[in-house]
Amino acid sequence: MNCVAWEERIALYAGGDLAPAEAQAVEGHVAECSGCQLLLSGLRESLALVREAHAEPVEAAHFAAVRARVLAKLDGAPTRRWRFAWMGALAAAVVVLAVVPWPQRELRMAVPMPNAPAAPAVARTVLPSHPNPVEQAAAPPMVVKLLTDDPNVVIYWITDTKGE
Amino acid sequence: MAQAFITMAQAVDGPGARARAGDLAAFEALMRQHERLVLVTALRLLGNMEDAKDVSQEVFLRLYRNLDRVEAANNYQAWLYRVTVNLCHDIGRKRRPSVAVEDVPELVSGADDPHQSLTGAERQRVLQMSLRALSAKEREALVLRDLEGLSTEEVARALGSSEATVRSQISKARVKMRDFVERYFRRRV
Repeated sequence: MNCVAWEERIALYAGGDLAPAEAQAVEGHVAECSGCQLLLSGLRESLALVREAHAEPVEAAHFAAVRARVLAKLDGAPTRRWRFAWMGALAAAVVVLAVVPWPQRELRMAVPMPNAPAAPAVARTVLPSHPNPVEQAAAPPMVVKLLTDDPNVVIYWITDTKGE
Repeated sequence: MAQAFITMAQAVDGPGARARAGDLAAFEALMRQHERLVLVTALRLLGNMEDAKDVSQEVFLRLYRNLDRVEAANNYQAWLYRVTVNLCHDIGRKRRPSVAVEDVPELVSGADDPHQSLTGAERQRVLQMSLRALSAKEREALVLRDLEGLSTEEVARALGSSEATVRSQISKARVKMRDFVERYFRRRV
């Protein structure tokens, strides 16, 4: 095996990335090869140099600048709490829609007569011609109050039995 | 067991949980905890501070938007490394090609030995220039393994590569970096 073939293993060995058996093989070769001894010492030297440079402190002002920019962006955006508050309000509204009874409606289907020309198959909604005045007077508008996390914000859902 | 209790307590009362509830001061504390990891990794990968700051800003904004998921996984570091590397990769691909070691001009240095007579600024210059001599993938592997000290397995996860690929990239990167340093100090083998 020539020295070029050892290069990759020596480079891994220099960073402590070889298993013990492989490391032992590299040590055996390096002990007998002056070229690979130079390669290994050069690798160790350059690694030490870049690690030392990398460990040097970075000016605190750079970190502070990033933090300020991020917080400024987040400060103007709706907070996570608010996002969830609106999702809760929306869910509550859906529940209310499901629970509130729909206005009484009479649904009649147009039934074609045997000898009459076929009418278009359209469902018609017919409101009662004489609504019960007593029932109408007895049904005040329904008001649903939705509370959010913010005590200053309250959502009102107002409906009546006629669905208006 | 004690570690599990600490983790649970952090999940309920830690800065991550408070930040999730919209507490910006708690999120700032989280940023302080991880800012060096993000900014310095971006600086090594991109080679200039302004781009590194832009990437850091985007990383933390994404962290804020994904706090639930990141905290659930309970591994901020792995997530931050992965997102930082991906964003740097996208920016680096648009902006700057790698420079071959042979194309790096020989620089006149007063020092014969890298460990002697080097100012901090000169060490930073050697580091950044030697990183430029690597391909993007080699640079990412070397920065995470040799500078940030991640294990080969962690590097592979952050880069979405196999460990074998990462080992190959690291070994090539180390040899190129050594060639650069040799050239910089005019010490040929």
